[in-house]
Amino acid sequence: MANLLDRAVESFKRVGEGLKTVFMHSFREPTTQEYPEKIQDLAPHFRGRLALAVNPDTGDHLCISCRQCERVCPDKCIEITAHKSPETNKLELIDFKIDHGLCMFCGLCTEVCPTTCIINTNDFEMADYSRESLIYDIKRLTLTQDESTYYFDKKELPRPKPKAAAKPAAAAGAAGAAAKSAAAGGDAAAKAAAAKAAAAKAAAAKAAAAKAAAAKTDDGETKAEPKAESKSEEKAAEPKADAEAAKKDVVEAKTEDITAEPKADAEAAKKDVVEAKTEDKAAEAPEKDAKKDVKEAKADEKDPE
Amino acid sequence: MNAAEIYKLSRLAIFWLSVTFGAVWVACWGVGVFIPSLITGKMPFLLQVDNPSTTVVFIADLLRSLTPILSLLVFIPINAMFMVLFERRSLALFTVRMGPNRHGFDGLAQTAADAVKLLFKEDITPRGADAFMFTLAPIIFFAPSIFGALPLLAAVTNNHDLFKVANLPTGIFYILAAASIPVVALVMAGWASNNKYSLVGGLRSAAQAISYEIPLVLSLVTMCLLAGTLDVVEIVEQQKGGILNWNILGGGALSGYDKLAPYWLNLVDTSFDTSAMFGQFYPVPWLSSIMAFVLVICTVLLFGLYLTGACAEINRIPFDLPEAESELVSGYNTEYSGIKFAIFFLAEFTNLFVVSSIATVMFLGGGDNPIPKWILDRLPLEPISNALGSLLSPLIKDLMFIDPATFWAAFWVIVKVYSIVFFAILVRGTLPRFRIDQLMDFGWKRLIPLALILFVVVVFARTWVVCHG
Repeated sequence: MANLLDRAVESFKRVGEGLKTVFMHSFREPTTQEYPEKIQDLAPHFRGRLALAVNPDTGDHLCISCRQCERVCPDKCIEITAHKSPETNKLELIDFKIDHGLCMFCGLCTEVCPTTCIINTNDFEMADYSRESLIYDIKRLTLTQDESTYYFDKKELPRPKPKAAAKPAAAAGAAGAAAKSAAAGGDAAAKAAAAKAAAAKAAAAKAAAAKAAAAKTDDGETKAEPKAESKSEEKAAEPKADAEAAKKDVVEAKTEDITAEPKADAEAAKKDVVEAKTEDKAAEAPEKDAKKDVKEAKADEKDPE
Repeated sequence: MNAAEIYKLSRLAIFWLSVTFGAVWVACWGVGVFIPSLITGKMPFLLQVDNPSTTVVFIADLLRSLTPILSLLVFIPINAMFMVLFERRSLALFTVRMGPNRHGFDGLAQTAADAVKLLFKEDITPRGADAFMFTLAPIIFFAPSIFGALPLLAAVTNNHDLFKVANLPTGIFYILAAASIPVVALVMAGWASNNKYSLVGGLRSAAQAISYEIPLVLSLVTMCLLAGTLDVVEIVEQQKGGILNWNILGGGALSGYDKLAPYWLNLVDTSFDTSAMFGQFYPVPWLSSIMAFVLVICTVLLFGLYLTGACAEINRIPFDLPEAESELVSGYNTEYSGIKFAIFFLAEFTNLFVVSSIATVMFLGGGDNPIPKWILDRLPLEPISNALGSLLSPLIKDLMFIDPATFWAAFWVIVKVYSIVFFAILVRGTLPRFRIDQLMDFGWKRLIPLALILFVVVVFARTWVVCHG
């Protein structure tokens, strides 16, 4: 009987202790983080969406088309299209595709990249409506110069060495002009796209046979070519600014090379509706970039918090 | 210090309580006071009818007599909405989270949205289920919480004219009888669902109800023994006059001390001979004092016993074996969806409110102010109450919208009932679920013997002390 009473008293004490502990919890700050309002400060090595950085100092694309990332990727979600420039005998990047629907964010590609071009960003909000829209092309992958600077600083990556001795001198002067010409280039691309689309329509009937011929060519080529063109047009605007600065360098030569190629294609009557679409996308791209910039700016603001 | 979240919880409680009881009282006043006075021509400032016809008088009486049931019908859904939100917010507080804070103003409208969602969900009857019983079960589960709570209305509103009709001379007996019906519905729901989990849940609830209703009823029987009546209104009347008169402190065993305290503390005329009065309450001086002390211990234990039994009766954690999400996939209501599930949900929270009200009426003095009368009299409250009375006199006298006595009774009842609800939530946040054999063991081998012992002790102890009864 006494034993029973002791046990009863003991158990009451324990239950009381538990109740007290739980009640005292209500005086503690909640550990909940209200996600959309407050985004947690992510670690520098957080493995988010993959992106291609540009040189923070000059704005040049860092990818050298070495395909190491493509090779090391366990999911085979990276697809690089490049060709060897006949003049400089160097690999020239045409397109870079990452299927984020396949990617498992292991970060192996970022480790093998010799120029720290491909990096994991802190962006993890990449929900989308279709699997296709998870395949990012080079336009969506390439970061702006500001973003690249941000990530290079955050991840404490070594700044890439200047490629050519002649280059940096021009870069300083061209930096401002480049920004303007980028916008101008976008406009030009849109106009060109419209013209070409019209031409394509007129030629559509005639070109039926040509289309069939185009369809025969292997997939890689048909995908890559329209992209290559849109890219080259943007680049074409840039060198003009450089030309005004009376600086004829390797880049211009290269881009001329590329612009020449699509023209040849046009003569081959390969223009069709698909191409017109890609042109539209190209026109849209600057808008997207602008949005990105805004987002990035916000992230910067939040950062001190 | 987590002031922000505590502030949000109290704001939520104040907002929802005023919405709930404001709505209930406006409905009651409109149907029970305003319309009858209007049609019989007794409303001041408005049209006067000299001799209303018998039909009009009959309609007015009918409306008045319908008020108690109307008050419950308005109260139950709003109250359930509030209690769900209150429970979620409080549990969040106890588990260092935030709780629902998106919908409406800091989550105030969360459960309203949930209720709308539940009503529009598809109502599914599983294949092989007994459709008639399946539909009947939630109704039988819900109905007792309405008609079982009726006798309590008069007790918690200071015997207000509108609710007098619902009172019964054997009130607590009736309430207990009504409270034991839902178990039948749970077994019905479990059987009719054509689901093994549901069946196990239903059978468990039957076993649990049988085991835990005995200590529950024994504890209330003991209180009725101390009170000498089954009438809840009378039980509340007896406990008036401060915390020392409440049933939880000996069922009136301390009333003598309460009455004599002002003389001993030299608050009033000290020439008065207290020994005669003391002898009146405590016939054998030293033995009576000991027995009063024993009674206090017994009633406190009975209160705990009642809370335990009530917790098991309404299937709340740690006695939620019939639902047991982790073992039985929420037991008897596994197969229920849409409005039937909503009714189960509604009834569960209404039952929680009803058992808390019973505890308030039987143990905590109903609508009684906890401060003893002799302290209250010495506080300078009269000017304040007079000022308020003159300020609100159109509402009190002309429109009969506020009855001060009822208002304060209702206020204290609300405070006490929701304190018990809060405690139930705290228990839910703390204790894990019993195992079924532990549950039976605890019920039959601990609680029932304890209840019987307390009953016998109280019977003997009260012969030496003058209690309420």
